[in-house]
Amino acid sequence: MEMQARVGRLLFKNPVLTASGTFGYGREAAELYDLSLLGGVMVKGVSRDPWPGNGPIRIARIPGGMLNAIGLQNPGLRHFLEVDLPFLRHYDTQVIVNVVGHDEAGFVDVVRGVHGQPGVAGIELNISCPNVADGLLFSQDPDRAGRLVGLVRQETSLPLIVKLSPNVTDPVEIGAACQAAGADALSAINTVIGMAIDVERRRPVIGIGSAGISGPALKPVALRIVYDLARKLDIPVIGIGGIESGRDALEYLMAGARAVAVGTAVFRDPLAPPRIVAELARELAAQGFAAVDEAWAAANPEARRRQSR
Amino acid sequence: MRPREIRVVERLQPAPDCVELVCEFPEDEGPQSGQFYMLSVGDGRDTYLPRPFSFYRVFSPRRLSFLFRVVGPGTRFLAGLRPRDRLQAMGPLGRGFPLPDGPERAVLVAGGVGVPPLWSLARSLLGLGCEVTALLGARTRSAVLGRPELEALGIQVLTATDDGSMGHRGPVTELLGGIEADGLYACGPEGMLRAVRDIAAARPLPRTYLALEAAMACGYGICLGCAVERAQPDPALGAYGTYARVCREGPVFRWDEVRI
Repeated sequence: MEMQARVGRLLFKNPVLTASGTFGYGREAAELYDLSLLGGVMVKGVSRDPWPGNGPIRIARIPGGMLNAIGLQNPGLRHFLEVDLPFLRHYDTQVIVNVVGHDEAGFVDVVRGVHGQPGVAGIELNISCPNVADGLLFSQDPDRAGRLVGLVRQETSLPLIVKLSPNVTDPVEIGAACQAAGADALSAINTVIGMAIDVERRRPVIGIGSAGISGPALKPVALRIVYDLARKLDIPVIGIGGIESGRDALEYLMAGARAVAVGTAVFRDPLAPPRIVAELARELAAQGFAAVDEAWAAANPEARRRQSR
Repeated sequence: MRPREIRVVERLQPAPDCVELVCEFPEDEGPQSGQFYMLSVGDGRDTYLPRPFSFYRVFSPRRLSFLFRVVGPGTRFLAGLRPRDRLQAMGPLGRGFPLPDGPERAVLVAGGVGVPPLWSLARSLLGLGCEVTALLGARTRSAVLGRPELEALGIQVLTATDDGSMGHRGPVTELLGGIEADGLYACGPEGMLRAVRDIAAARPLPRTYLALEAAMACGYGICLGCAVERAQPDPALGAYGTYARVCREGPVFRWDEVRI
């Protein structure tokens, strides 16, 4: 099976990446398997300065997944460059740096710091975290999203991926603005805002109230958005949301994703990413495909027509 | 730490709403007291995330048990398991109780279903020549867990219940008043842990360790869900050091390491 996957200028040995925020910087997973098995690693969001994250409670269990409101706790750019990136350089996998900021300058400073560092394959702009006060600032308005992408574009020639929020009326509108401003790819989706109530304590379970839904419950929402992005835009898409198996990954490819990222599944099955690589190869063969590329948009004729034009 | 399949070999019911599952591991295990395992608790539909459980009794290098109260869909699933059933276990995880260098007067304090990590700890402390006393607290007599199992180790066990139906009437921490200790090891509800911490500060009793519980998704350090505030953050970490992970830096903390 030809497992290579191309996402714009990015070339992955297989289309299975680990999603940002559910993989740290790879150190814990590396205790369990060789990270070189992965197409790529999208690291936990990196901010200019260290961020503390939200107070407890940060996690709630829901049917079909979970709620989280971690709040982008991360050790900051310097720690990433001095400790985490050198660790990831030991592995033959593409490292995508997820970048977060409270404002435009915050994003730009991290991108400047990351640009030119050996071992960085690309940047993912996280404009869609629902768990920090200004987390959705750039993801819900096409003008603000486009402006941020344009500013970052001036700072780096690295492939630029923008992670979209489902918490908007029309993700395609935001995606189009990002493409126009120079993004190379989109990743879809971040978590859907949700809530759980603690009946005994008569308050939301999560300390800050609302939180992001992830896990299998998210898959239909994400698939529809990936499908729409692929049929309406020319920019490649990385599908994220509830991917548990090779078959789930194949659904995303057939919807129009060029690659996928596995997130919450690693909490239930720490070995999920390499397992999904193996399962996807079998699923592709079972469907008569000889290469990942052949499955692309197999269920999305409009996307295929758009590409062949 | 690694994920693998374990097999239920025996199901015990030490209290009406509590179950102890004795499980067979594929290889010899050597967990420290206080470490835990993430157990799968269902088919993933109603109970997606695995749940953390301290191991309880050790019957052989491959045979450990888990003790829990049935409180929700996850524990209901586990309670429904029978011998020969299989489940996924990831572990051992976290940092357990540090053992003393030599013999000491050790006091274990458990509230409700907090007793599991203390059984194997009692055994290790006895092996070091310690004089071990266990204090068990619960709402009522039928909720006192682990008494016969701890007494079978040959240690002194005192009990306290909120309604006075067994032992002292009142919080289990009130039993500490009359007891000399060099080391204090506690696991139970947050209110009980705070009371133990206050006693540790007042005596003072530096060798006091608390096993914390927290909602967590992964158990192995990546979700950052199980945050607990550090009492003395490492300045080198900046704001990132505000919280520690219960799953990696804990679940056992010295009384003065965290704010609870």
